[in-house]
Amino acid sequence: MSALAADAIEVYRTATRNNRMGMWLFFFSELFLFGGLLITRFALWVDEDGHIIRPELDQNVGLIVTVVLLASSYFMNRSEVAIANGRKRDFLVSLWITGFLGVVFLLGVVIFEWGLIQLPFIEHHIGPTDGVFGAVIFGMTGMHAIHVITGVAFIVVVWRNGRRDVYTEERHWGVEACAIYWHYVDLVWIFFYPAIYLIGHAVH
Amino acid sequence: MLMQLGLTRGLIYQAAGTVLGMVVAMVWRLLAGMELWDQEVVFVVGGLVGGFSFMWGVGAIDDWLEWCRGKATPLVHGPPRDKPAWTRYFSTDYNHKVIGIQYSVTSLLMLMIGGSFALIFRAELAQADLQFLGIGMYNKLIGLHGWAVIAAILLGVGGMANYLVPLMIGAEDMAFPRLNAFAFWINVPGALLLLASAFLGGFDAGWTAYPPLSTQGSVGYQFLFLAIYFVGLSSILGSLNLLVTILTMRPKGMDLFRIPIFCWAVLATSLIQLTATQAIGTAFLMGLSERALGMGFFDPEGGGNPILFQHIFWFYSHPAVYVFVLPGLGIISELLPVFSRKPLFGYRWIALSSLAIALVGFLVWGHHMFTSGYSQYLRIPFMIATLLVAVPTGVKFFSWVATMWGGRLRFPTPMLFTLGAISVFLLGGLTGPILATVASDLYLHDTYFVVGHFHATLFGGFVFPFCAAIYFWFPKITGRMYNETLGKLHFYIMTPAFWLMSIGQMTVGTMGMRRRIVDYDPTLGGGLIEARHLETTIAAFLIGLSILIMIYNLVTSAEIGVRAPANPWRSRSPEWQIPSPVPEHSFAAPLQVVGEPYDYGLEEEYVVMDESQAGHTQAH
Amino acid sequence: MRSNYRRHFLYAGILVVVFTLVIQWILDLSLPLPAIQGSAQSAAIDNLIGQHVWLIAGAGALVLVIMGYSIVAFRARPGEEDEEGDYFHGHYGLEIAWTVIPLIVVAIYGVIGTQVLAQVTAPQDNEMTVEVEGLQWSWRFAYPGHGEFQTTEMVVPVNQPLLLSMSAVDVLHSFWVVEWRVKQDLVPGIVTELRVTPTEVGEFQLRCAELCGLRHAYMLADVRVVLQEDFDAWINEQLE
Ligand code: HEM
Ligand SMILES: [Cu+2]
Ligand SMILES: [Cu+2]
Repeated sequence: MSALAADAIEVYRTATRNNRMGMWLFFFSELFLFGGLLITRFALWVDEDGHIIRPELDQNVGLIVTVVLLASSYFMNRSEVAIANGRKRDFLVSLWITGFLGVVFLLGVVIFEWGLIQLPFIEHHIGPTDGVFGAVIFGMTGMHAIHVITGVAFIVVVWRNGRRDVYTEERHWGVEACAIYWHYVDLVWIFFYPAIYLIGHAVH
Repeated sequence: MLMQLGLTRGLIYQAAGTVLGMVVAMVWRLLAGMELWDQEVVFVVGGLVGGFSFMWGVGAIDDWLEWCRGKATPLVHGPPRDKPAWTRYFSTDYNHKVIGIQYSVTSLLMLMIGGSFALIFRAELAQADLQFLGIGMYNKLIGLHGWAVIAAILLGVGGMANYLVPLMIGAEDMAFPRLNAFAFWINVPGALLLLASAFLGGFDAGWTAYPPLSTQGSVGYQFLFLAIYFVGLSSILGSLNLLVTILTMRPKGMDLFRIPIFCWAVLATSLIQLTATQAIGTAFLMGLSERALGMGFFDPEGGGNPILFQHIFWFYSHPAVYVFVLPGLGIISELLPVFSRKPLFGYRWIALSSLAIALVGFLVWGHHMFTSGYSQYLRIPFMIATLLVAVPTGVKFFSWVATMWGGRLRFPTPMLFTLGAISVFLLGGLTGPILATVASDLYLHDTYFVVGHFHATLFGGFVFPFCAAIYFWFPKITGRMYNETLGKLHFYIMTPAFWLMSIGQMTVGTMGMRRRIVDYDPTLGGGLIEARHLETTIAAFLIGLSILIMIYNLVTSAEIGVRAPANPWRSRSPEWQIPSPVPEHSFAAPLQVVGEPYDYGLEEEYVVMDESQAGHTQAH
Repeated sequence: MRSNYRRHFLYAGILVVVFTLVIQWILDLSLPLPAIQGSAQSAAIDNLIGQHVWLIAGAGALVLVIMGYSIVAFRARPGEEDEEGDYFHGHYGLEIAWTVIPLIVVAIYGVIGTQVLAQVTAPQDNEMTVEVEGLQWSWRFAYPGHGEFQTTEMVVPVNQPLLLSMSAVDVLHSFWVVEWRVKQDLVPGIVTELRVTPTEVGEFQLRCAELCGLRHAYMLADVRVVLQEDFDAWINEQLE
């Protein structure tokens, strides 16, 4: 390896190290956003006696979208491992599935949970103007959905670049960033889901 | 020519984007079967799209768009090839020195705009009764003043940190130069939205924008919320960048307890900015969506709670006051040893006290809400925690005076401002505990005493140190000296005027004057209150005058000042070991740390350049 | 060490004491509390403020004097332009001292503060409830137990512990009578409480202390503290 190439790989490693730190700091920052929303939920969803309550929501929708999102994280991980081992095809296919599942999640939330299209078999629709239940649900799922949308956009970009061989075994910070971002968004949902759907006793 | 400036393009894009966003929102509403016009929604979408269009127009996201297309974009430092060199200050430029100056100049501009608002209502307050200002106008000006100067302070903090931190740790640039440019430019649409809110009815609940008042007023609130969202985004991204820079880009041998002390202040500040800023974003976003979409977070009708807003708001805004002052206190610690010719007393204690203030600062927000109606008993832990902040703050004061003790003090303008800063911040800090003690705060809360308190902390912690920093690094930035006589004139007008103003505010406060009122009862304080107000107003105008003197000094000296040597202050800090003005690539060779930063009185240096490595630029 | 620190410390110490007194005097002049202590709470709060003024004076004098003393005594005199100061880095004992001593002072003030708070908020046995309602931009008062009526001025008997039960109709307001010192916000959707015992007969003004919109500055109400007989008479008048 020429001295120049060694220099270049060293530069890339340093840059990636800094990028990684920046990314984690960003997540740390976002923790306060999602944490704020969670605190809002527990501050507002209480009854007169101080018991924690929750609205009655369609449990099927909640469970299905959660499973879909968790599954997407698996494929995202698979995709990242694939590129690190140079399996380009696997990388692209897994990434594609991740993005697809992400879109399914979004549609699940927007269409079924938000009730953009009212379907007879979905029960208990709540609108944004329905008191604190509506406000918090739409605040939490909305903020999360924004992150999922950017995540999907990120996946599309990485997928397109991946097809054009931008990433290699050694150099694929773009894929890594996309993956940890996706896992992070997923993780947030793991806290949001019980907070919205499970904790407290349901009232209507 | 004008069209070659990124700024011009950004402004055009923002105007077009705002219109576009509004149209899209209206079309969407039509398609969804709603009424075409809903000002809340339409202006929010317009403001949001406009803001991001600005970023596109100014060119701050060009490289990232290329990355999305899979193209690498090499980082080129230097003035634009095909345009005059000065245009880089009005366009996207990745050099941290350019960005630092962009921040600082914008800060001064906002400071003057915000200050002018204050002079208007100060003139009104010179006498009881109403004179020339309408009541509604008064209520809008106070909020606008508040946010304009807070934005100015955040910009000033960003300016000092961006210009100085890489120079002080011998880094080639910030860790993420493109993010750095983005973080600066996002302030511009933010500031524009803030000022534009005045044309949409303004916001009349003060800078704190407590609901329900803020969820009822005119649509100007929406632009306020958006503006702070943009400015907050800048804080988060900028602080992230500074943290990574300080943590990873130091040269060999510069461990964390050997960095110039200002970097410690920036480190503590950045930790706050990175995290707490999200809280005000959340609070304002909730306010925004309550207005635009009817989401009742704070509306008691559907179970919402107005006090929740105050909690989230102050969870940011108390730590934010340390964002405003910690860098300034860092400047004080930085300059005192230079002009005392003596090591900084207790470096580690000062460094760690910044961290302590930042961390304890997260636990005290309730002291702004002692009368708000939250749990009676919680007030006591908030009182104790707030009083505890006095301890690390005290450590700083004692270390400063101990640094001066036994030195060989000299008093050029920057040192004068440093001393002024200490005295003024002392006034502000010492009036804190009286507010922190619940029972006395039950009297003083929401009076002019509080106004006096925080003006003293903000002038002592930001304005005075910022002036000191400007005079001190002016030769490094421009390569010329400022005019010493005018500098001293500035100081000798501003300092007494400020003391008069701040104590005047406290006086009328204890007399019983509430804050945020356009008109007061002239019989308060045994009829003496009007005289105090007149004095305060005169003092405020003197401060304004002194700032103008500074601006004049800076502008003319940049042209005709005497040429500055590389190190006019005989400082040990790395940025003074290189030529003035700093060359495009600051350090010709990587730094090597061979001593302590503040060992004035010892022979050996703090840093030397490793000439054998000359020409080897560092990686970004 | 070139300087004779012992002498300097002595001079500075004396100056600190002198300046503590001077600053305390200046502050007393600069921070005039209303002459009338109109409630049982007033004296306790005024005392607390007075104690804080001493703290400000003492700590302020300490820093300002040492700073001012250094400016005079340790300035570079003509001919010393190139001289460096004395070389010392820090002093462990001092650092510990000025961390621990403020900690103790703060603890003391915390205890005093808690005691005064307990004192000014303590419930009394014979409290009279007044319902206060704030709305843009006026006040309404009701006297449960005395009949079904509302007034726009507040009339209360002297030396009668009051429990103000307060609610806001529209936005935040804050109840504040300067002579009574204490204040409390009114929040839509919840009931807040304030305890106060007026001790001075007279006419006072209730001022809203939380920005509440356009006419906030003028959101005032008359408060009359009267003798018990006069209060009873007033109640009867209202009931007619
Ligand atoms: C470090 C610099 C400081 C800054 C920049 C600062 C700034 C401020 C500001 C802006 C406010 C007014 C907020 C509002 O009501 O709109 C405020 C209030 C307050 N400050 Fe500070 N402060 C500082 C230091 C301190 C210290 C050291 C203490 C106490 C030990 C303190 C205690 C308080 C309290 C209790 C209030 C609430 C007063 C009230 O609204 O009734 N502050 N401060
Ligand atoms: Cu605070
Ligand atoms: Cu009011």
